[in-house]
Amino acid sequence: MSEGIADALFYLTVATYVAASVLFLRFLTRGKGDVGVLGPRLIGAGALLHAGHIVIASLVLRRCPVEGIHFPMSVASMSMCVAYVLARKRYRIEVAGAFVAPLALTSLLASRFVGGGEEPGARIKSAILPFHVATNLFGVALFTLAFSAAALYLIQERLLKRKRIDGVFKRLPPLDVLDRAEHRFLVAGFPLLTIGIVTGTLWARHVEMGAPGEVLRAVFGYVTWLVIAGVLFLRAAAGWRGRRAAYGTIAGYAFSLVVLMIYLLRAPQPSAAVADEVEAPATAALALGSAEASSTP
Amino acid sequence: MTLPVVVIGLSHKTAPVEVRERFASGPDVLPEVLARLTARKEIDEAMFLSTCNRVEVIGLPKIAGSHEESVQRASRAIREALRDHIGASSVEELREWLYERSGEDAVRHVFRVAASLDSMVLGEPQILGQVKDAYEAAVAAGALRSHLSRCVRRAFTVAKRVRTETQLGAGMVSISSVAVDLAKRIFGDLRDRTVLLVGAGEMAEAAARSLGQQAKAVRICNRSFERAASLAAHFGATAAPLDQLESELLISDVVVASTSSKSYVITRDLVKRVMKQRKGRTLFFIDIAVPRNVDPQIHEQIDNAYVYNVDDLEHEVAENMKSRQKEVAAAEKIVEAELAEWVKWARGLNVNPTIVALRAKTKGVLVAELERTLGTRLKHLGEGERAALAQMIESATNKLLHAPTTRLREAAGESDGNDLVRAVQHLFDLPAPAAQEEEPAKVAGKASAGESEERLAN
Repeated sequence: MSEGIADALFYLTVATYVAASVLFLRFLTRGKGDVGVLGPRLIGAGALLHAGHIVIASLVLRRCPVEGIHFPMSVASMSMCVAYVLARKRYRIEVAGAFVAPLALTSLLASRFVGGGEEPGARIKSAILPFHVATNLFGVALFTLAFSAAALYLIQERLLKRKRIDGVFKRLPPLDVLDRAEHRFLVAGFPLLTIGIVTGTLWARHVEMGAPGEVLRAVFGYVTWLVIAGVLFLRAAAGWRGRRAAYGTIAGYAFSLVVLMIYLLRAPQPSAAVADEVEAPATAALALGSAEASSTP
Repeated sequence: MTLPVVVIGLSHKTAPVEVRERFASGPDVLPEVLARLTARKEIDEAMFLSTCNRVEVIGLPKIAGSHEESVQRASRAIREALRDHIGASSVEELREWLYERSGEDAVRHVFRVAASLDSMVLGEPQILGQVKDAYEAAVAAGALRSHLSRCVRRAFTVAKRVRTETQLGAGMVSISSVAVDLAKRIFGDLRDRTVLLVGAGEMAEAAARSLGQQAKAVRICNRSFERAASLAAHFGATAAPLDQLESELLISDVVVASTSSKSYVITRDLVKRVMKQRKGRTLFFIDIAVPRNVDPQIHEQIDNAYVYNVDDLEHEVAENMKSRQKEVAAAEKIVEAELAEWVKWARGLNVNPTIVALRAKTKGVLVAELERTLGTRLKHLGEGERAALAQMIESATNKLLHAPTTRLREAAGESDGNDLVRAVQHLFDLPAPAAQEEEPAKVAGKASAGESEERLAN
């Protein structure tokens, strides 16, 4: 019964995100539709359904939603939508939904259908892990918004430099509003990322991990932190605004995505599998909706 | 045949701002340009109009041969004068930018320009003032004297009618208001932004009016500090001399440039220095001057600095103009009605000398006969009786010539009007009208009739 509800909520969330994506893209490309009210409402409704799905799925699985990677990815995309709904009016970035909705959708689908990595076993579980994952995923949610604002800024700036000030230009938020929103999301996400990096370092020491994928993941994590720290520092010290800051933000976000991709696509680790043989081999796909997953001993 | 007025020029519709600025002339060089035009033997009268969106010469050819030949000669002369004006190597070099109108089309064009129907911002009020300035300069230079002067004055009437009888000029659409809209799309809100006006002319005043209520602060930087201070006092702004431009750019976000300078007032190097000190904060330039005041390289080469000139705002303006299309139709009707009146008057120029001559001849004959009789058989008549006879001659002339005069005037607008004129000249042995002008003829007619009346009274 609960599995059925979780599944239904999952597909309803997907449908809502699809509807929001279509609405926003239609507005951007053709100038049709009301994204000022309907768009954020659709994303808000999607986030509610998404939260319902996460709660039901975690109850069914009796699993903390910030363990592993697939489940947190789902939580991250929901957090991103919540952050968008809360921030869009204050920063007047309703159109950022054009990035938020498809990214939330992609993240939600990826959390269920992409990758076959093992969920964390008892050996690598630690009290730090949920904290590490939670701060990182909220940081990623904010960076996604910063990325959306940066991407919109680059589009808007390009149109303005090319003097094409009709059509799409009129549908996007003002240039300075985007620049400011991007900076604020970055500033808000950076402490979370810093905590994530520190806790990640401590956790890695605790479990003494040394697999190439894990090293790569850590390296990209540090690079992400350095890039975003660099963007923020150069903005404050050297007046890096506008286009340069937008490119820096996009680069930082791209590195954080690489970290996520390494998590998602990591190969099954024999050592971990042996060590965790007492742990249920629940894959991400199973964790997020499959009825069989919850019944596995 | 109506008057062969010729208009040759270029506007925002035919030439980009970088071409228009080569032709643009301030009031200081206007006498020289007009002298160059009137020195040409092919041109009888001329006016030179130079605004940020158009530069054109309105000319009346000297009639020698047919009207068509006169127009062709005048057209060539105007093109050569324009070539010399910009220092081009040949007339051919200008061909792709210039438009030409003649006859009724030229007069319609003059009416439409004055009524702001050919402006980038339909119904904008500045153009009428600019046409008036050009008219006064031409009159002062002796380049406008008679028929063309009347044509331009008629254009003022058309403009006033359009303004009072339609809503074409209603609302807030102007280059400045469009520029404000664009600034808002860059900054979102101007309430925490500083606007700098470089120049303190009419356009700056319009910009101050549009921006004053929306921006946090307005600053005015001008070569003449007194003028800047006077404008600033009017709009609650702050004035600064032009040599403080760099420090003003540091604290401003939107810059509206509208000086009459012939070279760039805001250069790339200046903005490069300023942007370093501003730590990359966005700077938006709206250059509504022609010739341009802001180096366009700033837009291409400097990050976070944007330069828009009048041509760049054209599309935006066109969008704003859509709501005015209904008013445009009403204004065009006024133009056509006034044009019809003008054509009637202009065609009347052909028959008026004949009518005046016919009237003078008829009255002259009657008065001469009466004088002879008064000198002989009616010698005994007193002053009162002589005056009554003079009155009778006047009434008889009027009654006798009423029908032919009316028919000649009616025929003036028809294709066979000239045939009738020639017939009357032939039948009554009147002088050919080519050498006659309407006004002098009227004066001559009045003078001859007056002299006869005096003789009659004595």
